[in-house]
Amino acid sequence: MFLKELTELSGVSGYEYEVRNYIKNKLKEIDCEYYIDKLGNVIAHNKGRKNKTIMVAAHMDEVGLIVRQIDSKGLIKFEAVGGIDQRVLNSKVVLVGDNKIPGVIGSKAVHLMSKEERGKSLPIDKLYIDIGTDSKEETEKLVSIGDYVSFKSDYVEFGDNMIKGKALDDRVGCSILLELLSMKLDADFYGVFTVMEEVGLRGAETAAYQLEPDLGIVLEGTVSADMPEVEDYYKTTIIGKGAALSIMDNATVYDIDVVREVAKIAEDNNIQYQYRTSGAGGNDAGAIHKTKKGAKVVSISIPCRYIHSSVSVASKNDYENVLRLTKEVILENQKGD
Amino acid sequence: MLKDFLFDICSSQFVSGFEHVNSHILPKYFKPYTDSFEKDKLGSYIFKASGTSETNIMLAAHIDEIGLMVTEILEGGFLSFTSVGGINPASLVAQEVTVFGKEKIFGVIGIKPPHITDAEERKKPLKLKDLYIDTGYPREDLVKMVKVGDIATIKREPLSLQGSRISAKALDDRAGVAVMLETAKELKKISHKSNVFFTATAQEETGTRGAKTSSYKINPHIGIVLEVGFGMTPDMTDLPQLGKGPIVAFGGRLNAKLTKKFVEVCKKYNYPLQYEAVPGRTGTDAEALQITREGIPCILLSIPLRYMHTSVETIDLKDVENAGKAIARFINELDNSDLEEILCF
Amino acid sequence: MFNSELMKKLSDCFGPSGREKYIRELIIDEIKDYVDEISTDPLGNLIARKKGSGKKIMFSAHMDQIGLIVTHVDEKGFLRFTNVGGLKAKNLLGLHMVFANGLEGVICQEELKDKEKLTMGKLFLDVGVTDKEFVKQNFRVGDMCVFKSQYYETEDCVICKAADDRVGCYILIEALKNHPNTDNDVYYVFSVQEEVGCRGAKTAGYSINPDLAIAVDVTATGDTPDEIIMEVKLDGGAAIKIKDNSLIVHPEVKDMLTYLSEKNNIKYQYEILEFGGTDAGPIHLSREGVPSGVISIPTRNLHTSGEIFSKKDVEECIKLVRAAAGH
Repeated sequence: MFLKELTELSGVSGYEYEVRNYIKNKLKEIDCEYYIDKLGNVIAHNKGRKNKTIMVAAHMDEVGLIVRQIDSKGLIKFEAVGGIDQRVLNSKVVLVGDNKIPGVIGSKAVHLMSKEERGKSLPIDKLYIDIGTDSKEETEKLVSIGDYVSFKSDYVEFGDNMIKGKALDDRVGCSILLELLSMKLDADFYGVFTVMEEVGLRGAETAAYQLEPDLGIVLEGTVSADMPEVEDYYKTTIIGKGAALSIMDNATVYDIDVVREVAKIAEDNNIQYQYRTSGAGGNDAGAIHKTKKGAKVVSISIPCRYIHSSVSVASKNDYENVLRLTKEVILENQKGD
Repeated sequence: MLKDFLFDICSSQFVSGFEHVNSHILPKYFKPYTDSFEKDKLGSYIFKASGTSETNIMLAAHIDEIGLMVTEILEGGFLSFTSVGGINPASLVAQEVTVFGKEKIFGVIGIKPPHITDAEERKKPLKLKDLYIDTGYPREDLVKMVKVGDIATIKREPLSLQGSRISAKALDDRAGVAVMLETAKELKKISHKSNVFFTATAQEETGTRGAKTSSYKINPHIGIVLEVGFGMTPDMTDLPQLGKGPIVAFGGRLNAKLTKKFVEVCKKYNYPLQYEAVPGRTGTDAEALQITREGIPCILLSIPLRYMHTSVETIDLKDVENAGKAIARFINELDNSDLEEILCF
Repeated sequence: MFNSELMKKLSDCFGPSGREKYIRELIIDEIKDYVDEISTDPLGNLIARKKGSGKKIMFSAHMDQIGLIVTHVDEKGFLRFTNVGGLKAKNLLGLHMVFANGLEGVICQEELKDKEKLTMGKLFLDVGVTDKEFVKQNFRVGDMCVFKSQYYETEDCVICKAADDRVGCYILIEALKNHPNTDNDVYYVFSVQEEVGCRGAKTAGYSINPDLAIAVDVTATGDTPDEIIMEVKLDGGAAIKIKDNSLIVHPEVKDMLTYLSEKNNIKYQYEILEFGGTDAGPIHLSREGVPSGVISIPTRNLHTSGEIFSKKDVEECIKLVRAAAGH
């Protein structure tokens, strides 16, 4: 498991350098062949027995912020990259730019707020990052418009087999994909670490264009609304209940026969699984299945609470189940007669 | 020269999907500076300046403009219409228009007089279906000249303002097309090794469609997309200013290293530049280029423009000139450096 | 003559987006004796070909229909669901739905104070079963269901579910049974997943890489009491599309379809749709671009269990498809 290292790296969409470099080094360590394509996807190849072309995808990028403007007092105005819920931004520690300048997202003290203001989350254009400077000139020495900003959040293991970190969506997928590539299975597949998923499934589309897979397997950290006030049928996925198989989302209607086959593989191998029961959201599968002549796709996900925030939570148990299931699915699809 | 070109293309119609109508205009200006000309299947214009290397660089600016399209021919000589591309209905009130039927027909877009419009109704946002083009003809004459599906544009002649400012319709994105012409001229002077494709794309306003098909056809190593960006107005004071140089964009859908290289070149040669962050969707041809085929690394450069998507869009010609020269210099620098090194991750 | 039997079969066949197996099998049965080649691609598009050495023409009509997908099953036989394709919660109340296995359910709502706030999440399907074991065995997360309604025909019109776009499939089937004598290399495509974003047409368009593409699909009309501004009307003939949200029809294609209509005495009308899109959207953006157009069937009451179209319009559309295939 490479989650501690992976989640503590910065890799906001379009600027995945740190994560890519880490993955490149790991691939060298395990002696896995790879190349980097024009958009920055890392495309690794595990050679082995082959019936069909399989592409296993996990995205390297995370949601984050980007510097929009530096005001006359040296405070930084920003915008969100990817779908960030503005409610999670208040009072967070962030790292700005390549040099990881620490800053805090500030707002007016609660004492000074009017009754109406209290309890309301502030919209992004009312928030700013304070790096401790007093003037535009001072800030401009350290920060430029267009610099990326990511949350600072340590990886923590807690509770009963639970983990907390930022960017679990989708470093959990990256970590599992690295583990799969380390196993040196005698089953052929391309492991693709994609870029720019959070800004519209962009890397996956060009990667699929190059690989023309017959089967795409997308490894994701996915939404879990598994909280006390939510009815069961709204939870989407439940933490600790195993690998989540997608049925339909905004980007893909999954081929039900393929999904049921994966479910059967899980049952045959005593791997815990559940269905992802929401039509909302979308992931790289949406791009992969529509590229060129088209492909079959499955999404195997790890439920994450508080996804897209600095404190995403997931279960190591689910992680293990996704890892085992993905391995079995690859082996099953590439097994000999 | 530059102004003549802009005035010429801004007073001709190239409504999205109908870019073929005035197909003689662009070749007239681009041919002296380029070596070959072809079109893609959606009607994008592609002018190629051949170089000596294998590297292909695509410049893209969209030639199309937002227009109106006749949906119904009504009694009394009125035409109902929809828009081709996004438009603010309020900007259409009391405009003069040209309907491109069998012949050009003059018309005006009127509105119900205030005397019989109650206060409540006056406050309501206008919808396109509340508006009509008044042609002055009786219906029986009009049906002989106009068909459902015919297009119309606002009738507006380009205008010189003070200094180097001009105002016209469709400067979005004819300003970008003019940047390409400036680059073409400049490259002729300083020479280039790459093959440079100046692409006036079709149907950007309806979903960056021509950029998709033309970039597939050209299959370039890199893309330089030219657009217009929001310029400062009194109600939006933190936006880039007119005349202070083109705006380079940083964001999740653009190539960070290539963008950085462009900024370096501008700094080195003292070309003025302004900056913007575009976190996700850029809403430009760069959207399409980036994910064509195996992916095309792109940068996005915009000319500051006020009153976007109206008939009085306003720019500063200095920004167009500077952008054109900066890009020519950028291409020249790329020719003399290791492009693979710049693009590698 | 209108082939009522075929139209009824097509309308009644189960096939929501992504679950087009049965409708695909039905169409294969109908056309297999009339085509030179027939294949199914990875997404499930059915591609039938009449070979030729000339221009490559692609016709596309989508097989899929709108429906619902089950997201949660409780043991009492209450099913939660979400929509597959363009359906709104307020239009679903009380409707009868049917699953692929023939089991049925009716759409009910939770008690609501404010009717305006009705969302898909407040609806559920009651399948009328009290036997817990039976529910468990027969209803699963991921199952889809579609409208159940009676096919009905008058002298002039058909009222049925899934006319969108089974009437398009009907037109292609009838046209290819009567394929013109031509050199053209013609592909009749019955596409999947149009209702969730024209996904099948995207991959089929890429694979076929045609010189010309024409989608055959339903369109709205402006001839009902609620008056959308649109000149299209029932019995107005085949509608030649000019524009919708996904496509501005290539001027040469529009001119060609107009010319063919006039030459062959086919009744036609022009169509501008201010919303929506068709298979021609993704196809015309495939690779270097494909000149594309749409022949539309004027249809009222779209995306409901009773869509209404005119049999005469359908005949005109068949003639125009044949003319285009042979041109």
